[in-house]
Amino acid sequence: MMIVRMFLWIALAPLLPGLINKVKAWVAGRKGPPVLQLYYDLIRLWQKGVVLSTLASPAFVVAPAVAWVAIAGAAFLVPLGPAGAGVSFRGDMLLMVYLLALARFCTAWAALETGSAFEGMGTAREVSYAVLAEAAMFAALLSLAVQTGSVSLVAMLSPSAGAGTALLAAGLFIVLLAENCRVPFDDPNTHLELTMIHEAMILDHSGPPLAVILHGASMKLLLYAVFLTAAVLPLGSLPPLAAGAALAGGVLVVALGVGLAESLLARFSFRRVPLLLTMAFLLCLFSLLVAWKGGAA
Amino acid sequence: MSGALIFAAACLLSAMSVAAWSARASLAFTLAGTIVGFFAALNLLLGPNDWEWTSSFLLGGEQLHLRLDGVSAIFLVLVSVIGGTGAAYAREYWSDRDYPGSAARGRVWWNALVLCMGLVLILSNGLHFLMAWEAFALCGYFLITLDNRRPEVRKAGWLYLASSHAGTLALFAFFALLATHTGSWDLGPLPEVPAPLFWLALFGFGVKAGFFPCHIWLPSAHANAPSHVSAIMSGAAIKMGVYGIVRFGGWLPLPVHAGHVVIGLGAVSAVLGIAFAMGQNDLKRLLAYCSVENIGVILIGLGGALMARTHGNAAWGQLALAGGLLHVWNHGLFKSLLFFGAGSVLHATGTREMSRMGGLWRAMPTTAGLFALGAVAVSGLPPLNGFVSEWLIYLGLFDAATTRAGFTWAALPAVILLAMAGAMALAAFIKAGGIIFLGAPRTKAAALAHESRVGMLVPMAALAAACVVIGLAPGLVWPAIAHAVGSWNSVWAVGKAPFPTLGTAQFALAALAAAAGFFLWRNSRANGLRRDLTWDCGYRNPIARMQYTSGSFAGIPLGWFFWALRPERKFRRPRGPFPAGSLRLERIPETVLERLVAPAGAVIARLSQAALGLQHGRLQAYILYLVAGLTAMSLFVFLEGKP
Repeated sequence: MMIVRMFLWIALAPLLPGLINKVKAWVAGRKGPPVLQLYYDLIRLWQKGVVLSTLASPAFVVAPAVAWVAIAGAAFLVPLGPAGAGVSFRGDMLLMVYLLALARFCTAWAALETGSAFEGMGTAREVSYAVLAEAAMFAALLSLAVQTGSVSLVAMLSPSAGAGTALLAAGLFIVLLAENCRVPFDDPNTHLELTMIHEAMILDHSGPPLAVILHGASMKLLLYAVFLTAAVLPLGSLPPLAAGAALAGGVLVVALGVGLAESLLARFSFRRVPLLLTMAFLLCLFSLLVAWKGGAA
Repeated sequence: MSGALIFAAACLLSAMSVAAWSARASLAFTLAGTIVGFFAALNLLLGPNDWEWTSSFLLGGEQLHLRLDGVSAIFLVLVSVIGGTGAAYAREYWSDRDYPGSAARGRVWWNALVLCMGLVLILSNGLHFLMAWEAFALCGYFLITLDNRRPEVRKAGWLYLASSHAGTLALFAFFALLATHTGSWDLGPLPEVPAPLFWLALFGFGVKAGFFPCHIWLPSAHANAPSHVSAIMSGAAIKMGVYGIVRFGGWLPLPVHAGHVVIGLGAVSAVLGIAFAMGQNDLKRLLAYCSVENIGVILIGLGGALMARTHGNAAWGQLALAGGLLHVWNHGLFKSLLFFGAGSVLHATGTREMSRMGGLWRAMPTTAGLFALGAVAVSGLPPLNGFVSEWLIYLGLFDAATTRAGFTWAALPAVILLAMAGAMALAAFIKAGGIIFLGAPRTKAAALAHESRVGMLVPMAALAAACVVIGLAPGLVWPAIAHAVGSWNSVWAVGKAPFPTLGTAQFALAALAAAAGFFLWRNSRANGLRRDLTWDCGYRNPIARMQYTSGSFAGIPLGWFFWALRPERKFRRPRGPFPAGSLRLERIPETVLERLVAPAGAVIARLSQAALGLQHGRLQAYILYLVAGLTAMSLFVFLEGKP
């Protein structure tokens, strides 16, 4: 069962960026790359050699692997509707968030290995904006915990988020965009700009480590999409099949939303990024207040 | 137990007495003493009972009364560990060869400091406690000023001494008031004293603990002390302040808002401490400010426990307290590790300025690896120990939030601020680790750095191993923490560990990460590794000065905390053709000290100066003062006497 679950996460994750790209192509009236493009890229990269910076230590290659394991571990903790979570215990949501932070630490460490100013810039932005994203994420977790009166992901995510659902969904969607480096925070299309965050951090990676980073990023995107869907929809009160379908449908809707946002918005200037993240935090905070003061219990 | 403690004390005294003649014998005695102390305290923690010993021997007119219970044993374990590893590290780091003038002196004061901290922890009489406390503060002063030829060291030492005594003054008042209310100097649960005394203890011990804004002495003292001294000051000495707050938070009756105030102080210390750390360019000042943050984390846990105690001993309080106490251990371990690492870097490059380092991993790979491990731990990331204690604190606060009781409003902001502090700690330590160890060397000294000797690496490895063990097998330390929680509040005699699954998950994670790292390395090697210049968007001639600097790395959060940090900037842009003399300087002042305490001190000094005018040596005027004083007094007595 555990193997099937991990296989699902690992195998399905690269589908999501493909879907988003299809949506973007559709809005722009293009044909776009095949949905499975990322799979092809990953296979190709996995077989390639590696060019290492003369300054880089072995950690440059090892850190992406650790980050990947951390993201996979976090995904393992997220309940998949009727299938539940791989492991569930009191306080597992904290482990999930901190595993994602560990992945951030590893990516940032590997980025600084090269001594390039581009990577330095990207890292500084990533770790700084994460402060606000983390605040929003914890406000969201508190809101779910207060709403449901429980402190484990399975119980927190099975009912809907109550009266503050819309607020929470909006806040979490912004966090999703920020943490996964989508427009308006970052532009996954351009690798060569001074203004990048995440993409600037991986400029010097190549071959298998880059494949691992790209796959980890897609798994993280899927994780946030599943988390957002499960937080919003009352999956626990649906029959198993319907819940599974609702979860899959929700993830597709999130992918559609990301694609539309990417097509219709331009990337924000950096001065406005903290403002948008603060807005995400405030949205989650208001949903927390609604859960606390407006809840029935 | 008594035998073991007497043996440990005798060892430390012997270490002091032979310090001048033989560094090796002194180290052997220190290690023997600290190891015995460590096992004695651990043995007590793992057993069910506490230890108490009263003697008819009078000291200062008071009976000697010793007590070692769960709470003090937790701290004694930490003091022993850092006392032992630090002494071993100093054998190489502050050796007779390099510092012929002060090495022996350092060993004497080191052992005296460890001994005095041990005494503070077991003495259970107010008068004796104060004596040990004062001796402990003085030992700290002499250790900080070991290198007393440098003026900034003397200045830092003076600041430490002055602030320490401000705290001690409050403690004199506190213990004296305790004694007048209870009629005895004996310490123990004190249900009958008035609750506001808690505030006095909070300030007195808080100055030593160094929470915001009582931390003014801490950055300069920790930065300018020799690194092994910084390690014990940061790892163990400031924990004595925490010990005082924990101890009397458990024994005194609490004011209604004690928990809220402590949790608030903790949250403010956590966020502002790490914001100041982020702004530093001096590695050891960064670590010092990070200690302020971690004291804040401990106080959040303790504040939760105090809040639970005033609200009918709610069960979530025990999680918060357990997290706070475990964080005392964890912070002691990884902060000492990081200070030792900073010492090795300082030893290798001769500077504390991070902007003069870079690329040190090549010269000192072991130090770099151990520092990185410490950085992961201090950022509170799984699977290391920092995460376990923060997880306990979070869980306690989440439980508090889900009860939707009156204290939810204090738990919610504490969780969010703790999360922000955690993310900023990650940023600060990515900055420190990246600027120091990664990239290209920024100066010649950094390029010529050398790895430390085994004598310095082994103590670091021991601390790192402790961090890993607590992280991977938190169940092992749980009985000890549970005992301490039970000693603090007997209602909370907790049994089972709350993290059977967490430990397994962390272990599995570490194993998988190691396997994945190895596998990826092997696969990359098999596909072919080629070394080339950093790509840098195609630029073919990168130089070390083009790398991102520590100042620019911290730019974004510095902007957010501009209101607190008040950076002093000097910026001359390059202008026109052939620009010359452009510069950019930035310094983060110790805002509380330089903007609040120092101006207030200046006003007091001016007033005192003015009062000096009254003393001029003219007898007639002195007689006038006397007459005026007597008249005023008799007038006062006359008016008071009336009904």
